[in-house]
Amino acid sequence: MGALFGECKRRRKFFVNRRLLWLFSLCFALLPSTHLCESATFDSFSSSSTAHTNNWAVLVCTSRFWFNYRHMANTLSLYRTVKRLGIPDERIILMLADNMACNARNKYPAQVFNNENHRLNLYGDNVEVDYRGYEVTVENFLRVLTGRHESAVPRSKRLLSDEGSHVLLYMTGHGGDEFLKFQDSEELQSHDLADAVKQMKEKHRFKELLVMVDTCQAATLFNQFHSPGVLAIGSSMKGENSYSHHLDSDVGVSVVDRFTFYTLAFFERLNTYSNASLNSLFRSYSPNMLMSTAYYRTDLYERPLDKVPVTDFFGSVMETIHTDSAYKSVLGEKIVKPTSEYSCKNANNQVEQKRSLASAQDPIVGPGTKEHSSPQSMWNVLHNKVEKIDNADELVNYGFAIMVLLVALFTWLSI
Amino acid sequence: MCVRTAQSKNSPMATTDAGVPSSQPPNPKPRPIVRIAMFLISHSALFSSICCAAGILALFLLPLLAKNTYVSENALMPGSANPMFSNHDTMEANRLVKEIMDLKLSSGIAGIEISNLLGKYMTERDADVYHHNFHVQKNQFHLGNFFSDSSYSWHVKENRSCTQYGINTVAIIRAPRGDGKEAIVLVSPYNSTNIRLSDALSLGLSYSIFSLLSRVNWLAKDIIWLAADSRFGEYVSVAAWLKDYHNPSFLDLDKSDDGTCPVSHALLSRKGQPTTAGSRLNVFRRAGTMAAALVFKVVDGKEETKDTLSIYAEASNGQMPNLDLINIVNYLAVHRQGLHVKVAKLYSVLNAAWLRTVGQIFEFIGKTAKSVNPQWGFGISAADYVDGTATLASSIYYQALGIPTGSHGAFRDYQIDAITLEMSPRSSLYNEVRRSDFLLGGGRLLEGVIRSVNNLLEKFHQSFFLYLLSAPSKFVSVGIYMIVFMLLIIPLPMVAASLYSGPNERESSARTNNENPDPAVAIVTTSGSKSCKWLHAARVVFVVHLWSGMVSLIPYLINQLPERTPTACMLVWVLLSFVGLIILYCIAGSPYSYKISHQPPDREWAVLKAVMISVASIGLGLMSIINYATAQIGAIFMVPMCLLAHPLKHAGTAGKLRVLSLTTSNMVLAVIGFPPGALLLVKGWLEGFDGVSFGDFWIWAETLWTWNSATYLYLVLIQLPCWVLCMHILLHP
Repeated sequence: MGALFGECKRRRKFFVNRRLLWLFSLCFALLPSTHLCESATFDSFSSSSTAHTNNWAVLVCTSRFWFNYRHMANTLSLYRTVKRLGIPDERIILMLADNMACNARNKYPAQVFNNENHRLNLYGDNVEVDYRGYEVTVENFLRVLTGRHESAVPRSKRLLSDEGSHVLLYMTGHGGDEFLKFQDSEELQSHDLADAVKQMKEKHRFKELLVMVDTCQAATLFNQFHSPGVLAIGSSMKGENSYSHHLDSDVGVSVVDRFTFYTLAFFERLNTYSNASLNSLFRSYSPNMLMSTAYYRTDLYERPLDKVPVTDFFGSVMETIHTDSAYKSVLGEKIVKPTSEYSCKNANNQVEQKRSLASAQDPIVGPGTKEHSSPQSMWNVLHNKVEKIDNADELVNYGFAIMVLLVALFTWLSI
Repeated sequence: MCVRTAQSKNSPMATTDAGVPSSQPPNPKPRPIVRIAMFLISHSALFSSICCAAGILALFLLPLLAKNTYVSENALMPGSANPMFSNHDTMEANRLVKEIMDLKLSSGIAGIEISNLLGKYMTERDADVYHHNFHVQKNQFHLGNFFSDSSYSWHVKENRSCTQYGINTVAIIRAPRGDGKEAIVLVSPYNSTNIRLSDALSLGLSYSIFSLLSRVNWLAKDIIWLAADSRFGEYVSVAAWLKDYHNPSFLDLDKSDDGTCPVSHALLSRKGQPTTAGSRLNVFRRAGTMAAALVFKVVDGKEETKDTLSIYAEASNGQMPNLDLINIVNYLAVHRQGLHVKVAKLYSVLNAAWLRTVGQIFEFIGKTAKSVNPQWGFGISAADYVDGTATLASSIYYQALGIPTGSHGAFRDYQIDAITLEMSPRSSLYNEVRRSDFLLGGGRLLEGVIRSVNNLLEKFHQSFFLYLLSAPSKFVSVGIYMIVFMLLIIPLPMVAASLYSGPNERESSARTNNENPDPAVAIVTTSGSKSCKWLHAARVVFVVHLWSGMVSLIPYLINQLPERTPTACMLVWVLLSFVGLIILYCIAGSPYSYKISHQPPDREWAVLKAVMISVASIGLGLMSIINYATAQIGAIFMVPMCLLAHPLKHAGTAGKLRVLSLTTSNMVLAVIGFPPGALLLVKGWLEGFDGVSFGDFWIWAETLWTWNSATYLYLVLIQLPCWVLCMHILLHP
């Protein structure tokens, strides 16, 4: 059922993507002044040739047993946060090694809390757990990352990311020097993780990857990374422990870890439109509060952290505006703001966005520029070119140039 | 030795095979480990005395080496949840206490009434309730069931009499969302014929916890409350219930309900309920595997400054519950309820002046060491040392005795971790104002322990099972105390080897005219013709051990005698043993009958001593696996006795002072190495020599086999033959 639902949603996404290029070009045509600014930001921020088009999150809780309640609460809290910031359920792979909500020791059956005030039930209605219980193994985890599934595995359990994806990988559990324990029975080593990430890179399964780990000696897990585009945050350095934040004396267990608690505290202030940078997230961790030293590995990551909004990884900032008629839209009536995430970055673009919205009747903004098939032959040609040229930026630039020429020509002709 | 001769035969063959013609076989240099062994053996007197002294010293160092306990199992999380036990629950406890005490005043046969009352209260809590009738039988000395007391028991049940019935009342709460595979047991023993306020309080408190647990929704394990009728002793009732719990008996299913006995009949009729309800109360019900058991008792206060909790943990044969169970109780009692936690101490040791001196010496050494290097923090104060030693001594004593210190011992026989918690208030129990505070503290402690055990996912396995307690929060683990035992026992094989090789060396060196000064080579080159001289000694040792096996079985015969007093039994035992020894000598030949013409007389006893020592070291080693504490105490007596045994007639070769001291120590060890002698001496020292009688040992031995203590086997099968053989050596002609 979950798989079906995901499928439906995806089809709708295709529909959205199909017309993206239309909207793109129209926008350029109508707003020549803003587009310059747009392309400038585009060039300065995207080092890779592919644009950031979608967001995925893989959230893993690796430990079993009642006394590891907090690890499940950590993961569910982050699940809730990324969902709130816009990553849809079908793009979140949630792996929970045990079911605390239904544990006989849980005083609040079917509920999980990450705070002793019990204000927020993390295990509410819309929790879609993809891998649960004994399914959470090192093997399955590596399969999810590398995409090597058996054919029977449903799409909802796969990480279907592409080279335009920003992937958030969050892991919590019990770890040690260069390993993370799964299920109290096996271990994921830093080499395994680095190898999986390398495979992902080679298979174009991500554009940028943020690995966030909340375990003891989390920093050691990143030692073997070599793939470009990987950014890593760990809760503690080598030889340090990560501690739980507080004990819920009603439930009788610790309910959240410090690192995750302060991460959540940071995100609670944000919404989809916030432009807090990753740097500000990193700076928010104080060793006194964590009782450990948070560690960032940035040498494989090219963009300056103070220019990267946290929503690049923890959210999926997209705006969808209602269309009256989904399929019979007239070309001339569509006006669209260029795109999604980048435009939110600076105030300049936001102003532009508002202007474009004001003038648009039914603009639709979707993420991908790649996977669309238009019935119009002209656009088909263009689409095929897009398929071949993986440099989306250039394509857009060429398209723009042609548009300017056409406009100039028509203007000249009409005079 | 036969192996050695084979080697010596093989070596020339090997050289010819290799095709190296050699007129004289080369003397290969032995491997370093062999040379070290030879060096130790040749200086065995020195090394054995050093090892013995180090062993005794290390024994006194144990309180210093004790580590602080820590909760090792992550899942337990003691004290992480707020206690739910409130003043309302103490009121409930008080209500039951009042009813029980009223019942005592009004009714004659309080036992059945209390049982019914408890049944009524338990049923109100929607628990599965039943009465467990058990029949008391004294555990006689029986050949077949020394270590397995449960499997044969139903044979004996035929001749039960109705006067020996007790009634346990049992209630089970099923965990609302649990799988029903595990259970936690709460035992509250009470004397049904003469109930006291303390018993009533322990029942009341257990009930209020039980009723609290019937309301909570976090249970993952079922809760069993056993109100154990301890009119025939606390242990018996719990053991009987456990036996029925674990061994469903299908043979006499009908018999238990036949109502022929007045007690069970009265129980049913007095209920005033339809027979179906009554019989429902007699159906034995079970929950899952028991994860842990807590025996809870209240005793009257001894006017201390704080409410006190005493923990008893020793089960049969020195088995202990997992240390984590003691840790969580200690943690919750000290850090949550502010109780004063005690474990048993030997109070006679506590006041010993010499021990305080030892403590002061260690304190001084510790301080000096700390001033040299602040990192060395092993010093403890003299008072702590004396306290730790008294506790440790009691821990060793109770483990060595092999008799459980309470009804928790019955659980250990089924590999269930159990301890007895004995609470005493700082003021009298009759002080009603203080009483509710006391109940609140006790209730919260029990609730905390149960909740902590409820969090457990597997059996207790993380922490130690082999340990000695030197304080409620300090322990000496097996890794440390085995060193002490090893130091004591290592001289035995060393001296045995040296005794055996000593005369050989002399012979061979005499023969080879000092060609081989190295003793190792001397042994290797010893000819095989004389190598089997030890067979005679081995035969003597075997006969003596055979005899000791016989001696250990004699009590079974004596038990068949009618009208026996301890003294008479002891006399018969000694006489039969003596006669048995003489008969065996007649059959197998006396140890002194075997004479070898070419053998000097001192050679003979030396070989006998070597064999005796080897067998003793094997026996001690085996015993240390079964019950460390017994082996440790035994080693303290046996090792000097074995090492110093020397014929009194042949002592005259050395100086007079040495002869005198050797003879004296031999005589002393001969007295204290004899188990009855040692017991009578200790008893006389503790209680005065007036009360000591010949039958005391019989009574003591009877206790040991009643409790299936392996200490009995140790004393008769290892210590006694060793002593007899030592006597042989002392009296060697």
